[in-house]
Amino acid sequence: MPTLKPTHPEIAPVVPSGQLRRLSVEDIKPSTNNPRMLFDKPLLDELRKNIAEHGVLVPITVYQPKGQTKFSILDGERRYRCVVDLTNDRHLGKDGKQIKIPANIVEPPTMIAGLLYMFSIHNFRADWELMPTALSLKIVMEELGETDNFALSKLTGLSERQIERCKSLLAFPEKYQKLSLDPDPQTRIPSNFWIEALPVINLAMDKVEPVKKLGRNGATDKLVEKYKDKKIKSVIHFRRIMESYELAEDDAPQQAKVVRRIEQFFLNPKLETRAGFDEFVVEKKRVKNALAACEEFLGQLKKFKLKYTTDEDERKNLRTALKQVREYCESLEEALKGDDDPEADQED
Amino acid sequence: MLRYLHSLKAALRFRDYHPQPVSIASATRWMKQIDKKDLKLAWKLLDKVIYLSEAETRKILLHQNSVLMSNLHKAGLPPKKLIYVQTDDAGSSSPMMLGMLRNAAGLEQLGCTLLDGRDAFGVNEATKRLQEGAIIYIDDFVGSGTQFNKARTFLMQSVVGSFSEFLLVPSICEEGLTKLTDLGVEVYTGHIHAKAERPLHESSHLMAGEGRDRLIEICKTIRAKGGLGFENMATMVVLYRNAPNSIPAILRGSDKQDPFYGLFPRTKDLPVQRPK
Repeated sequence: MPTLKPTHPEIAPVVPSGQLRRLSVEDIKPSTNNPRMLFDKPLLDELRKNIAEHGVLVPITVYQPKGQTKFSILDGERRYRCVVDLTNDRHLGKDGKQIKIPANIVEPPTMIAGLLYMFSIHNFRADWELMPTALSLKIVMEELGETDNFALSKLTGLSERQIERCKSLLAFPEKYQKLSLDPDPQTRIPSNFWIEALPVINLAMDKVEPVKKLGRNGATDKLVEKYKDKKIKSVIHFRRIMESYELAEDDAPQQAKVVRRIEQFFLNPKLETRAGFDEFVVEKKRVKNALAACEEFLGQLKKFKLKYTTDEDERKNLRTALKQVREYCESLEEALKGDDDPEADQED
Repeated sequence: MLRYLHSLKAALRFRDYHPQPVSIASATRWMKQIDKKDLKLAWKLLDKVIYLSEAETRKILLHQNSVLMSNLHKAGLPPKKLIYVQTDDAGSSSPMMLGMLRNAAGLEQLGCTLLDGRDAFGVNEATKRLQEGAIIYIDDFVGSGTQFNKARTFLMQSVVGSFSEFLLVPSICEEGLTKLTDLGVEVYTGHIHAKAERPLHESSHLMAGEGRDRLIEICKTIRAKGGLGFENMATMVVLYRNAPNSIPAILRGSDKQDPFYGLFPRTKDLPVQRPK
């Protein structure tokens, strides 16, 4: 659950007003987030059952924005949602009356405290729009003067990877950020577009002279036009470009060919990503080889029937090696998992 | 003679309806399409139309805004802490109402911020600058509240800081009011449109029995889908600048006003005028 304790010296603590009140659901304003996306149903069911039996035992924390009659929740959205459900089901408390929620009334939080609470709530939500999150993160970074990923991760509860992704979005000028804040999902450019496009733009600005001449915004415009024209059918296809270049690392003529293709990709509005780069990425064969390598590696390792070793140095070395294997496998598995698969943003 | 009198009455009541001015001729044309045996029902329905003229709409908006501003001032929120928000495209009702209020109440001179709710960047910047205050949405009519809530949800993801929320609206249906109240948006309005005020709504007793069934049948003939308007709300409020999409089809007419000519077509229902 979100913490209200200040975790950074710059953050003002929540100021209690000294009031503990018993509020009905009508006195409380729900947050704008969709509870079905915010909270796991089984956990919510369990909590609801508990509240139905015992009532709300731990007070929620609320504040009253100036001018507003209702109280906004700072901490305790799940308890509130459960009581709303129970009230809708006409469930009564032990006293035979509508269930009331004990609430600590605090002063309205500062902008930063409110933002950090928002972050902690949104951590429950898998598909929260990333651009608004990035804008909020920008405020946190500016207000607290904090840019370190680890520190920001501790403050916001976002993973370091999410923070890095937000930073990628913030690397683009405002005019591009606005394209991801378009209220119309049909014309909105998904946040993932920028994240996936950034390394390609960086590469082109570094290695492709004609693209350099376009300037960074000019190059970005080319990709946006292409995307709008459906010549980039899925933003994940940007990875093919990077992969093409990386695979040709030890082969200068091949790499030169890739660079020329990148140039064509930027300058020829009709060249589609896969049509341009599939020839450099022989995907099926590589996946097949990787699968065979996994089987062979596991098989060989099992053959050793290792369970212990008395040699302390060897034990240490083996553990380090296994740790490296595990880390690589985890990162690969994460990349293949598709939990934030950009293809989901765009129909093929 | 009776038809002429009803046409005259309609022309006088609804004369400033913008999409298609209501005149004796247009009202007569509308009535001529209706079977003689059904005319009395149609007149009865027409009598139940709640028409908000431009003058009345302005009056309600100004009055409600003045009450809201005064309440907010007492709560410690001066005009410079208020953000007025239009929730829809330029040219539609929300920006029109905001424009009307801006001019009549001098919102900008008072130091209020005016925003397009779809400008997420602008919302983020303004709320970051003010840190606390009130967001005041403006529209001319709210039916079920579904559309409003969609616009609000989009806007709220860019809000930072502590902001209370209000809606200024000349008329709102009771369904929308309930939804918005549940969401914690406080509504300032001149008229709450109850289901009981809507003769063709299932909860209303204004026109019970065969008469209502007959009018519903006519509506469904005109528009097979949505004869009683959006979500079968059968609302009776008509605003000078446009009718909501929740009014019965007998009042609104067919698409492009063909074959059935409506007395209160929505702007989108009018036939396209091709240049000669």
